[in-house]
Amino acid sequence: MSAPLLEVRDLKMHFPVKSGFFSRAKARNFAVDGVNLTINPGETLGLVGESGCGKSTLGRCISRLYEPTAGEILFKGANLAGMRHRQLLPYRQNIQMIFQDPMESLNARHTVGEILEEPFLIHGIGNAQTRRQAVSKLLDTVGLPGRSASRYPFEFSGGQRQRIGIARAIALKPELIICDEPVSALDVSIQSQILNLLMDLQKEFNLAYLFIAHDLAVVKHISDRVAIMYLGKIVEQASSDDMYHRPFHPYTQSLISAIPIPDPHHTATRILLKGDVPSPISPPSGCAFHTRCPKAQASCQHDAPILKTLAPEHIAACHFAAAP
Amino acid sequence: MFNFNPQTQKKLARFRKIKLGYYSFIVLSVMLALLAIAELLVNSRALVVQYEGTLYFPTYTDFHPGTDFGLDYAYETNYRDLAAQFDKTASSNWVIMPLVPYNAYENDATDSIMRPEAPNAARQHYLGTDTTSRDILARLVYGTRTALLFAFAFMVSVYLIGIMIGCAMGYFGGLFDLGFQRIIEIWSNIPFLYMVIIVFSVIPAEASIPARITLLLLVMVLFSWTSMTYYMRTETYKEKSRDYVAAARIIGASTQRIIFTHILPNVLSTLVTFMPFTIVSAIAAITALDFLGFGLPVPTPSLGELLKQGTANLRTAPWIVTAAFGTLVLILSLVTFIGEAIRESFDPKQFTLYR
Ligand SMILES: Nc1ncnc2c1ncn2[C@@H]1O[C@H](COP(=O)(O)OP(=O)(O)OP(=O)(O)O)[C@@H](O)[C@H]1O
Ligand code: SF4
Ligand SMILES: [Mg+2]
Repeated sequence: MSAPLLEVRDLKMHFPVKSGFFSRAKARNFAVDGVNLTINPGETLGLVGESGCGKSTLGRCISRLYEPTAGEILFKGANLAGMRHRQLLPYRQNIQMIFQDPMESLNARHTVGEILEEPFLIHGIGNAQTRRQAVSKLLDTVGLPGRSASRYPFEFSGGQRQRIGIARAIALKPELIICDEPVSALDVSIQSQILNLLMDLQKEFNLAYLFIAHDLAVVKHISDRVAIMYLGKIVEQASSDDMYHRPFHPYTQSLISAIPIPDPHHTATRILLKGDVPSPISPPSGCAFHTRCPKAQASCQHDAPILKTLAPEHIAACHFAAAP
Repeated sequence: MFNFNPQTQKKLARFRKIKLGYYSFIVLSVMLALLAIAELLVNSRALVVQYEGTLYFPTYTDFHPGTDFGLDYAYETNYRDLAAQFDKTASSNWVIMPLVPYNAYENDATDSIMRPEAPNAARQHYLGTDTTSRDILARLVYGTRTALLFAFAFMVSVYLIGIMIGCAMGYFGGLFDLGFQRIIEIWSNIPFLYMVIIVFSVIPAEASIPARITLLLLVMVLFSWTSMTYYMRTETYKEKSRDYVAAARIIGASTQRIIFTHILPNVLSTLVTFMPFTIVSAIAAITALDFLGFGLPVPTPSLGELLKQGTANLRTAPWIVTAAFGTLVLILSLVTFIGEAIRESFDPKQFTLYR
């Protein structure tokens, strides 16, 4: 097997929390708390978890929008954590990001042409003429008409805007794209179009994706492997198929039971979790999931489980892990 | 003409629909255009002099001593007298004077007694003269121009400083932000009027008039820039956390690029809605200072100084206060109407481009 494209080692992102008037930032938000993962070239790793579990924060650490508190982000062996703007610049071409809300992520005061030209400008690629050609080629690649270049983002529909965001992300021919819930703001009818576009582009340019979503249904389709995140930690990771057919972690099991199945004869019951997600500012002791876990035992309250290999290429962090 | 983006075009169309503001804008534009060429309309220098077969255009050129036109003095030609003389002698020479043949500084006293005189169309003092027999219309025109220029310079300086500091505070945050917040708190508590009085009492008497005006501008700016920082700070902070900034950073944009091509254009578009009100308050402030005698140095023409004269001679020369007050009300109303219309048509709540 080839060397991994990205290797994240024990990554932590702890946000300081202002608690009061004279606060000295005592409390911390353990948004990402010790994550390990690898992504191989041309592969999609799905990252799934409830709102607030730290998916975006993890993605933004990898794309170095955030400076992680601790840990390593090895891109082709080079540690991006701690790099400054100048050092990072060459890696910016290799790691790109697609955002959830395309309207928010496109500068509304720039034309689509200006938005798509900016990556080339910043990295000093080509001249005015070749850049214009590159822009129209990008528009063509993502399935937008060439005259879009002179339009403004608000003149487009949500799906078209996301295509613009995708065009910007692939402009510099990156090897890894972090897709932070790229379809969850879109109409269901448009979601599959965008997913298909992403998969086509992956084949064409041998892209690797970190595909973030908050439900498994979307990820199932597009991912080679899936990682499940809960309160800043990865609790289970496996190949996509294995994850659906043999989830070990009770949290994953409940997530899978929540996927609607169009078969009327299917009778599997949905595992409902009790209570809300605890705050990442004061995560529960022991196994962070014990406050909601249907299988929790007394020991879960103080013994934190570690990720164990339970099947080939399949790891989960639970003392009582068992396939359903 | 301009290639505005469709959003801006929509706003402009809305502005045009607000009649009061739109007409005020047209009237003010015409006034500004006339003020820009005031030297051709209100001036003691002739527009054209034809003397011994040569044409002279003294308006914007160096001064011509009387000897140039066969007069017996070497100081600047009095073109009104020259015209009268050419008329009397029925020579082929002629002079074309501006509409109002007076400048803002000269004393045109009858019988050499300086006193206010009522409007007199025959002598072309259309709004009368002030206590030192200067033409009121001329002083109004040049006073208004000075006030508008002053207000504009004030606005530009205050915005520049406020934008730079406020934007840096919002963008960099941290200790820089905290430090400036404290400085601004202290600074904005210094009473402005006392500072003006103190500064004025220590200016050396021999300081030139432009130097005094600049100093006044400086003092006013120095004590006004803080108000702009509040808006800039919060807006920059808000914009900075938006995804389009994150997207720019991911493609490798530098801090400089992010501030100047992404954040500022998004923040500054709302600034247009403040501008008329800044102008109004600046005109009001400079007029008030002039009225109190701490404003523009004498003999600079100014509305405040005329108001002061007018109130002092309310009974004997009511035309002074009428003219000055009328002009002030006109200017301030026009700018305010424009401001209201801009605020309504550019309403950021209606036109927000993001969520
Ligand atoms: N820039 C930040 N500063 C401080 N706290 C943050 C910041 N970004 C995220 N957080 C906190 O970190 C935690 C994880 O947030 P994050 O946005 O990563 O979750 P998420 O899994 O992406 O959720 P969602 O599905 O809602 O997007 C939350 O408690 C959030 O409040
Ligand atoms: S360790 Fe205990 S609480 Fe945690 S998931 Fe397993 S059973 Fe549930
Ligand atoms: Mg998120």
